Amino acid sequence: MADAERLIEVDNLVRRFPRREALAGLSFQIRRGEIAGILGPNGSGKTTTLRILATFLSPTSGRVRVAGFDTTTHSLDVRRRIGYLPENVPLYPEMRVNEFLAFRGRIKGLRGARLAARLRDVVDQCGLGDSSRRVIGTLSRGYRQRVGLADCLLHEPEVLLLDEPLAGLDPAQVRIVRDLLQGLGTGRCVLFSTHVLAEAEQLCHRVLILNEGRLAAADAPAQLVQSGEGGGFEAAFLRLTTLPPKVRNPKKRNGG
Amino acid sequence: MSAFFQLWGREMASYFRTSIAYVVGTFFLAIAGVSFWILATHLAQGAAEGDLVANLFGSPGYWLAMLIVTPLLTMRLFAEERRMGTLEMLLTAPVTETSVVLAKFAGAYATFLLLWVPTLAFAAVLRRVGVHLPPLDWGPVAAGYLGTALVGAFFLAAGLLCSLLTRHQAVAAMVCLAALGLLLSGSLLPFYAHAESIRQVARGISAPLHMMDFAAGIVDTRTVVWYLSATVLLLFVSIRILEARRLR
Repeated sequence: MADAERLIEVDNLVRRFPRREALAGLSFQIRRGEIAGILGPNGSGKTTTLRILATFLSPTSGRVRVAGFDTTTHSLDVRRRIGYLPENVPLYPEMRVNEFLAFRGRIKGLRGARLAARLRDVVDQCGLGDSSRRVIGTLSRGYRQRVGLADCLLHEPEVLLLDEPLAGLDPAQVRIVRDLLQGLGTGRCVLFSTHVLAEAEQLCHRVLILNEGRLAAADAPAQLVQSGEGGGFEAAFLRLTTLPPKVRNPKKRNGG
Repeated sequence: MSAFFQLWGREMASYFRTSIAYVVGTFFLAIAGVSFWILATHLAQGAAEGDLVANLFGSPGYWLAMLIVTPLLTMRLFAEERRMGTLEMLLTAPVTETSVVLAKFAGAYATFLLLWVPTLAFAAVLRRVGVHLPPLDWGPVAAGYLGTALVGAFFLAAGLLCSLLTRHQAVAAMVCLAALGLLLSGSLLPFYAHAESIRQVARGISAPLHMMDFAAGIVDTRTVVWYLSATVLLLFVSIRILEARRLR
């Protein structure tokens, strides 16, 4: 994977809000074909990172490139190449699933036969066949999550950015979404945030652990466990996020 | 441009899928109906024909409808998207802030214009029920509708801007109502201000005075330019506020 194209490049990213600094010099890269997880305690900067990558927020300083485009100067080019699922999966409750997906497909530039084919594909892929005519406001959290994922996949983006895609799901739904995510890495890169360490360990080629807006570690889950002082992945995570933030392994700092 | 039409279509659908268009339509038609009844009574008692147009476009009922309908149509535009979080979905899709603002404005404006369609039947209804009307001069009627379209565009652009400033629909509606109320109160200045300069400025921006002119069939280019420029300015400011949101 070392030679694969870098689809996400974050260099010394700083993001300040009026009363706090959410990100304090974050740097990492994600390559095509990689599934990466962002982990960290609440307030560590996971959502802010994803929002900046998705162009919803601008960086205070630093450089962020997605699929080769700068998120600040070429935000529309970036948005054409990403599928972004915000936390809590905001959808229009009054629309039907198929109408919502068709609307999203059209604003993403899909038309006619291509739109129809992509709608069929994502409905199948996300297991929405039985629910495609249901009103979104009546769907369970799990189904809403699947609708959000279907929306992300519609235009076959190179980069998938998913904020807590496993949050609030029951074990059966977690399994469905996990299986779905596992199949998504081919030909693109997936970056998702999660609090579910077991899922991150199982799904991710690499995890980025954030602590107080800084990168505490960026490595394969097995490597993090191995290089720790005993205990499993959870112990490694707790050690990295309870100690004062520092770069655990300088060689891996840039997501090498 | 294509994204604009998609977004506009969704805006229109959301008005008519939810109860908003029907609540606003019912409210509007109730006020228009009462004004119409008062007008019919006056005409039956031999009032002059000029009252017909003046009552349609300048009565207290007309301004009450404009003051209430504007916040009802615009309060949800951005406040609701922000509260539900759907603004994040919208602004990370490949659409520009300009097309989002213009599509939302176009949705509210088209709904506003649709509200006025039933009033086109007023004169026909009066004749049908036997109220004697002299031949109607269509010039002032057309000018009245033009004035309503211009004032409506300006009011709705102001309401859209208010909706951008908060995530609470009720707050957006109150701010819009207060702003428009203040603007309409300013129309009294030409009668009470001492300084001639203030009176002139107030006359230039007084919507009730403009509508009196329109209802008399007078279309002043300066007035048309004022409403078009003010609407464009408010929409431009809205676009810039939406763009600046990324920096917050």
